[in-house]
Amino acid sequence: MGIRKYAVIGALALAGVSLFGLSARAEDVKLTVWSLDRDIQPAPNLVAEFNKLNNGIQIEYRQIQFDDVVSEAMRAYSTGQAPDIIAIDNPEHALFSSRGAFLDLTDMISKSTVIKPENYFPGPLKSVEWDGKYYGVPKATNTIALYYNKDMFTAKGLDPNKPPQTWDELVDAARKLTDPAANVYGLAFSAKANEEGTFQFLPWAQMGGGSYENINTEGAVKALEIWKTIIDEKLASPDTLTRGQWDSTGTFNSGNAAMAISGPWELDRMTQEAKFDWGVTLLPVPKEGVERSSAMGDFNWAIFASSKHPAEAFKALEFFASQDDKMFKNYGQLPARSDISIPETGQPLKDAALKVFLEQLKYAKPRGPHPEWPKISKAIQDAIQAALTGQASPKDALDQAAEKIKAVLG
Amino acid sequence: MPHSPSSGPTGHLLPAGERLNRMADAPSSISSRKGLSSAQAPGSPVRDVGGPVTRLLSSVRDGRGFDIVLVAFPLGFLFLMAGLPLLYNVLMSFQEVDMFSLGTLMRPFVGLKNYRDLFAQPETLPILANTAIFVVGSIAGQFLIGFGLALFFWVNFPGAAWLRGLFLVSWVMPGLVVGAIWNWILSGDFGVLNFILREGGIISANIFWRSDPNYSLYAVILANIWLGTAFNMILLSVGLAGIPADLYEAAELDGANAWQRFWTITLPMMRSTIGAIIALGLIFTLQQFDLFAAITSGGPNNSSNVTQYWAWEQSFRQYDFAKGATISVLMIVFVMIASVVYVRSTRHEVRG
Repeated sequence: MGIRKYAVIGALALAGVSLFGLSARAEDVKLTVWSLDRDIQPAPNLVAEFNKLNNGIQIEYRQIQFDDVVSEAMRAYSTGQAPDIIAIDNPEHALFSSRGAFLDLTDMISKSTVIKPENYFPGPLKSVEWDGKYYGVPKATNTIALYYNKDMFTAKGLDPNKPPQTWDELVDAARKLTDPAANVYGLAFSAKANEEGTFQFLPWAQMGGGSYENINTEGAVKALEIWKTIIDEKLASPDTLTRGQWDSTGTFNSGNAAMAISGPWELDRMTQEAKFDWGVTLLPVPKEGVERSSAMGDFNWAIFASSKHPAEAFKALEFFASQDDKMFKNYGQLPARSDISIPETGQPLKDAALKVFLEQLKYAKPRGPHPEWPKISKAIQDAIQAALTGQASPKDALDQAAEKIKAVLG
Repeated sequence: MPHSPSSGPTGHLLPAGERLNRMADAPSSISSRKGLSSAQAPGSPVRDVGGPVTRLLSSVRDGRGFDIVLVAFPLGFLFLMAGLPLLYNVLMSFQEVDMFSLGTLMRPFVGLKNYRDLFAQPETLPILANTAIFVVGSIAGQFLIGFGLALFFWVNFPGAAWLRGLFLVSWVMPGLVVGAIWNWILSGDFGVLNFILREGGIISANIFWRSDPNYSLYAVILANIWLGTAFNMILLSVGLAGIPADLYEAAELDGANAWQRFWTITLPMMRSTIGAIIALGLIFTLQQFDLFAAITSGGPNNSSNVTQYWAWEQSFRQYDFAKGATISVLMIVFVMIASVVYVRSTRHEVRG
């Protein structure tokens, strides 16, 4: 009998405590955040830190796969199940903001002491804009530049401190560095028929005076001709057409390519894997003195228009932005901010590379923004592939792409 | 034993409902002797007991209604899980769909516009042709090699059953894993296949299986043949095992040689199995998506693109759901034809 009595009291006490706990938690505003970041990447860690603040807002985090971000978000939004906050790839941002799926943050940003537009690089900032308003906050940024193997430069009589600066120099260097007997290609890059191909080609077209609205300029055609030369002369592996950037750069790390065009996301792996001296230089330009350009990658934060707690969600974004200065050190990603000086990591190769990437970021241009970006991008990918497989001349291929893009732009 | 010898087995073979009626009609002495329920006590025939509800219930428990329930359940399941999505897909192919109207059903109708647009695209015909090459090439390879293996194991040498089981490993592996492995095998610079061909003196320069538009489709066909051969082999082995051995003995006595026995006994006896396998192969091949995603992504320049991958690309890469649905409808038509062939070929099978 005694035991039962204590058990009842205990159960009641437990129920009381948990009721108390429940009621305490019920007062918290609950937000949901979706992003593709894994445990060693920023989002889940920022969420955990934010939850520790105990400021009456609790965030639930959900990781989604890269390939599913847009389709999951669309499905969720159209069925009223959207999260409060989502991290979205920058070329897809306009798709949502133009349809009113994302919340207009212009007013909140103008009042904010943490998020200030002037602190961001122009490229990333432009990708969250639609119709002159801000529909998000850049989460991080990246771009591409030219990695090169200094040891191979020395071995082939090239100056390791003078990497190629123009397109012609790049092709020349690639010719000298290509060594089929040693299984070495001069250059590794990606012309894959997905967003990566567009990401890699667009900077070349832009340096050639083109843009996605105007993809068949003389300079852009020249750019594609250079790519074709590189593929035709086997200065890069024919598998460039079906290989993504990560796998292409893998061949550079293993010493099977002397140069590689890729981004800062490679730095950690390269420092570990590459058993040679390497450096990074800015993406070569058509001719000396021509305006530089580069690709701009990475994700943006956005708040869904359907969020019931927009003010709290913005507070969370402010917290995320306030942690931008630790982003490179903790997660190896570049904040999209020009006002933050990134501290040295102590690894000389990585620090030198970082300087180049920060310089390159100044010229980074967003893809779009345009709500129908996937279709524009597909037209560009088709042109690249048609030209590189020899099924159309670079000029014809880009003319066709221009026509398709014109139809999309209306 | 008072138990009448004729009523037992006959009653057993009759449909359940019929059996119940017979029992009710039977003389009361039998029902009481057999210890039936109290409702069927002597003098009160079952027919008069209870209203229509009870009758309905009892028929569901053990009667015609039971048969209907048995059929209705899987039919309902099939309709919910396969029929509705299929109809929805057909509906979408006549609508203008974008990502934000995905959640609604009534979207603007555009008639045949999606179909017209589809056939106006320059890549449509090459992709349809690729699909045909892929299907014919894959099935031919899977079937011929599978049949060869089945005949080989039919000889029943020591360890044949064990080895045949091992062959199934390829069928058990997920398509994406198979794709990733073939991706390495087919790799241009460091692939195993190129190495073997080069060392064997068959080629002098590497073939870029995935990136050369002349080879990319065949690269995927090669991987698909590897993936599907074991399945063909097993089904054909089952078919072979079903041929009575005395047919061969008789033929041998009549002096038929191995080729004649194969041509006049094995092939005709396998007719329905072969029909079923080819129809199933067509369905499986038209479903094959993973290998394309893992090996070529349909590239370069659509040279290895097929309808099933293209439909996915349109829907989930371009977010053109209507176009994706339209391509799927075309595929449904082909699969339907295959299904009819399959059903017809299995109808002749002798059961029991």
